[in-house]
Amino acid sequence: MTTVVRLDGVRKEFGGTTALDGVSLSVEGGEAVAVMGPSGCGKSTLLNMIAGLDRPTAGRVEVHDEDLGALSETGLALFRRRRIGMVFQFFNLLDDLSALDNVALAAQLMGIRAAQARRRALELFDELGIADRRNAYPASLSGGERQRVAVARALMNRPALLLADEPTGALDSRAGEQVMDLLLDLNQIGQTLLLVTHDTAMAERCASRVVELADGRVVA
Amino acid sequence: MSAVWRAARAAVRRRRMQTFVIGLVVLCSTATIVVALGLLDASTGPFDRAFAHQRGAHVIATYDTQNPATSAPGVEAVAGPFPEVVLDVPADGGPIWATGPLTVVGRADPAGPVDRVDVWVGRWATGADEIVVTAQPPPDRADADRFGGDILGKKVSVPGRPVLTIVGVAYSLGNTADAWVSPATMAALGPSGSQVLYRFRHAADRAEVDAAIASVPRDGLTGTQSYLTRKAEVAAGPGTMLPFLVVFGVLGLVVAVLIVANVVSGAVISGFRHIGVLKAIGFTPRQVVLVYLVMVSVPSAAGAVLGTALGTVAARPLLAGAFQGLGFGARVDTGLWVPLTGALGVPVLVALVALVPARLAHRLSAAEAISAGSAPKAGRGLRVQRALSGTRLPRAVSLGLGLPFARPGRTALTMAALLLGVTTVTFAGGLATSVIRFGDAVDRADAVQAQVRPSNPDFGRVSTDRTDPQVEALLRGLPGTVYVTADLTLPLTVAGHRDPVQVDFLRGDATTLGYQAELTEGRWMAAPGEVVAASKALKNLGLRVGDTIRLTYDGREAPVTIVGRTMEAGIAGGDLFADWSVFTAIAPSYHLVNHEVMYSVRVQPGTSVESYLASVRAADPGLYAWSAVSGLGNTYTVSVVTISVVFSLMIGTVAALSVFNTVLLNVRERRRDLGMLKSIGMTPRQVVAMMVTSMAVLGLLVAVAGIPAGIAAHRLILPMVGRTAKIDLPAAMFHVWNPGALALMALAGVAIAVLGALLPSRTAARLPIAEVLHNE
Repeated sequence: MTTVVRLDGVRKEFGGTTALDGVSLSVEGGEAVAVMGPSGCGKSTLLNMIAGLDRPTAGRVEVHDEDLGALSETGLALFRRRRIGMVFQFFNLLDDLSALDNVALAAQLMGIRAAQARRRALELFDELGIADRRNAYPASLSGGERQRVAVARALMNRPALLLADEPTGALDSRAGEQVMDLLLDLNQIGQTLLLVTHDTAMAERCASRVVELADGRVVA
Repeated sequence: MSAVWRAARAAVRRRRMQTFVIGLVVLCSTATIVVALGLLDASTGPFDRAFAHQRGAHVIATYDTQNPATSAPGVEAVAGPFPEVVLDVPADGGPIWATGPLTVVGRADPAGPVDRVDVWVGRWATGADEIVVTAQPPPDRADADRFGGDILGKKVSVPGRPVLTIVGVAYSLGNTADAWVSPATMAALGPSGSQVLYRFRHAADRAEVDAAIASVPRDGLTGTQSYLTRKAEVAAGPGTMLPFLVVFGVLGLVVAVLIVANVVSGAVISGFRHIGVLKAIGFTPRQVVLVYLVMVSVPSAAGAVLGTALGTVAARPLLAGAFQGLGFGARVDTGLWVPLTGALGVPVLVALVALVPARLAHRLSAAEAISAGSAPKAGRGLRVQRALSGTRLPRAVSLGLGLPFARPGRTALTMAALLLGVTTVTFAGGLATSVIRFGDAVDRADAVQAQVRPSNPDFGRVSTDRTDPQVEALLRGLPGTVYVTADLTLPLTVAGHRDPVQVDFLRGDATTLGYQAELTEGRWMAAPGEVVAASKALKNLGLRVGDTIRLTYDGREAPVTIVGRTMEAGIAGGDLFADWSVFTAIAPSYHLVNHEVMYSVRVQPGTSVESYLASVRAADPGLYAWSAVSGLGNTYTVSVVTISVVFSLMIGTVAALSVFNTVLLNVRERRRDLGMLKSIGMTPRQVVAMMVTSMAVLGLLVAVAGIPAGIAAHRLILPMVGRTAKIDLPAAMFHVWNPGALALMALAGVAIAVLGALLPSRTAARLPIAEVLHNE
């Protein structure tokens, strides 16, 4: 089994506030890890470090043997494009694009032709059970459907690591259940998963390991 | 009120960039508005203003006595009598433009109650044998100094009179004299009469001026001149350039107002979420509107005041240069209403523009306003977006192409500003080319560089014994000579017409004189019985190209056919060009004196005109040779080209600011989208490409409309200028665009858009993803 994520003494400060304080962590390939903790404990900050969305004040972040600290902004963008899939609490879909085009976008940014990208997107729509909603626009989709579209977009480039930040936080319980099932299914077919949640039920159901944070430190 | 003020102040502080942009846009727009209004104001009756400033003479009365009476009813001011004499300065008796009949007036100083003469180089003639000559000042001070360096100290000599030294150059808009000397020098020159300059209380129109002329003392009166004649001359000369200036003024005004509307409405719309928050905490709809009005009014007031100051400072030298170049003098007074409109009118405009979206905020419920920007909303231009996402274009580019459809109102305003920017650049580019071609056609600098005339022995100069053909042969044999054309100007009558016409009889290389470039109809002469006429002469005679006329001289007639029409008059202001054979046919017994013939010479490229002129004088000291290339250049050209360039830059800058603001607002509104795009791997370069593309496409689209609009404005205005000047303009002045130039114009639109978009696009590329995505 390969190590997908390795954090070593990661520290992050915002002004005078310490969000992460010497976090060391590793995630193996095929694992599903849930990061839990109270609000403000640094969960999302940790996720941002791993996704290359932000840089640590100190320490080292490696994903797929790539030292993120050594990468330029463009290098980080290319890293995210190739290695990371992200699912957000509030979906972050483009209102002007159809569901299919929102998903295809991730591949098109890599230079893949529109037709090919749409074919791959349609496969994902089929797999995620939302093929009939492919031409709908975000405003006409339910919360659960939007999150499935967001998951499809995250999987578009076959990422080594799927990161989910409170993926059910903006969904009703039924839609939340569906999304949890989906993430579980993905992990069962080998997708490495790191999710941030404060929902214990979700962590228990989806994750093979739980990391608890408190005041920016790993406590369990 | 204090809650409103506090909320507005907090909004101003929180949106520093937005506040700065509003202030900057209002500053630049106000400066443009002030310059544009100044231009429009100064263009309204510039002659009357300059004439009033110089306290020009409404009537110039000339007497054959030294002490005529000077009282007349209705007189506001009177100056004189000033002694005067007409000196006939020979061609080699002074600088080329101070030769011929020169009306010289004796005046102790240039000031006085009437006709305050502007001495723009050197000083007034106060000493013995000093003279101040008249010339229109160039628009540029450096040119004036250079001209002064060339002219001051030169001599003006007339046989039998004291040799005069030029000590200054002055300009009287009323054209009261060709030169001035001190009263003592005038006594030595021997005055033949005097002039009295009158300003009347009522002299606004022809009837009032006629009444004024009738009221001046008649004893010894030899002639009168109305200032309306001079006004008409100016209207047909430099005044022809005014329509150009007015177009620039109007364009500047419209662009500036549009951009203020775009920026301010965008600022208010982008603050809808804040409006919701204010309502939720208890602000009344009226208070919310007030908060937004105050928020945009603070930077706009500061921008308007600074912009007015900047515009006033910038307008002064610009307008002074332009109007001085056009002959209206350096002092251009604009009304107080111009800066007042800038300082007070623009903030009012801003408030009115802000009121429209603010009233929308007034109607919006708190919940609706708060959800603006966060809740998913129905997209816009969905078909276009779908089509674009299926293209083979790089995705960043196709996303950029789709962005303008998301905010059609903002896009329309931005496009309107860009459209006017491109129209202005196109119009200005075409205008500059036309004016330069006009100057070149009039100067014919490429066609003729030297002119030669045998000196007149009557003026006591060294003359030549060479006959006309011998002079021509001598010139043709000189090193550096390429072409020589002999020209004899004679007044002839046209059968059936009372007034004589001036005919230029040409011999030698007449086709190389450069007048073909001035042809507005027909062709150049190809056979002896053909003539080419000046457009003004054809209008006066009521003739057309193709007509056959009979030239009459001393009882003999020669039928000739008009085969072409030129833009302006001939070599010495002549009406017709004819072949020399017509002259020999119609006046076989004419005793031709050699100094009646002038020779126009084209020298080999690279040959120094000065050294060529020296070689002519060395070959025969009896030949007077001078440069045909004006040292001053065409001051009209300089004035109009300067205005074109300055306004193009100003309007281009303001249009670019509009783009800057649009992209800034788009970035602000799409922060979340941009964060998401970056999170899924959009590189900083792709972000810049997307944002810049979104504006570059507008630049390209407006080029499609703006270039034809600029060409149309050019086509509309240019004939107006021709009609005012009573000349037909040749096709070369209209056909100033070629594919290369049009491509450059199109690029100008794209360049304005790209330049405006670049900075905020880079800001977008640097957006912190984590911060953007987690500030939900």
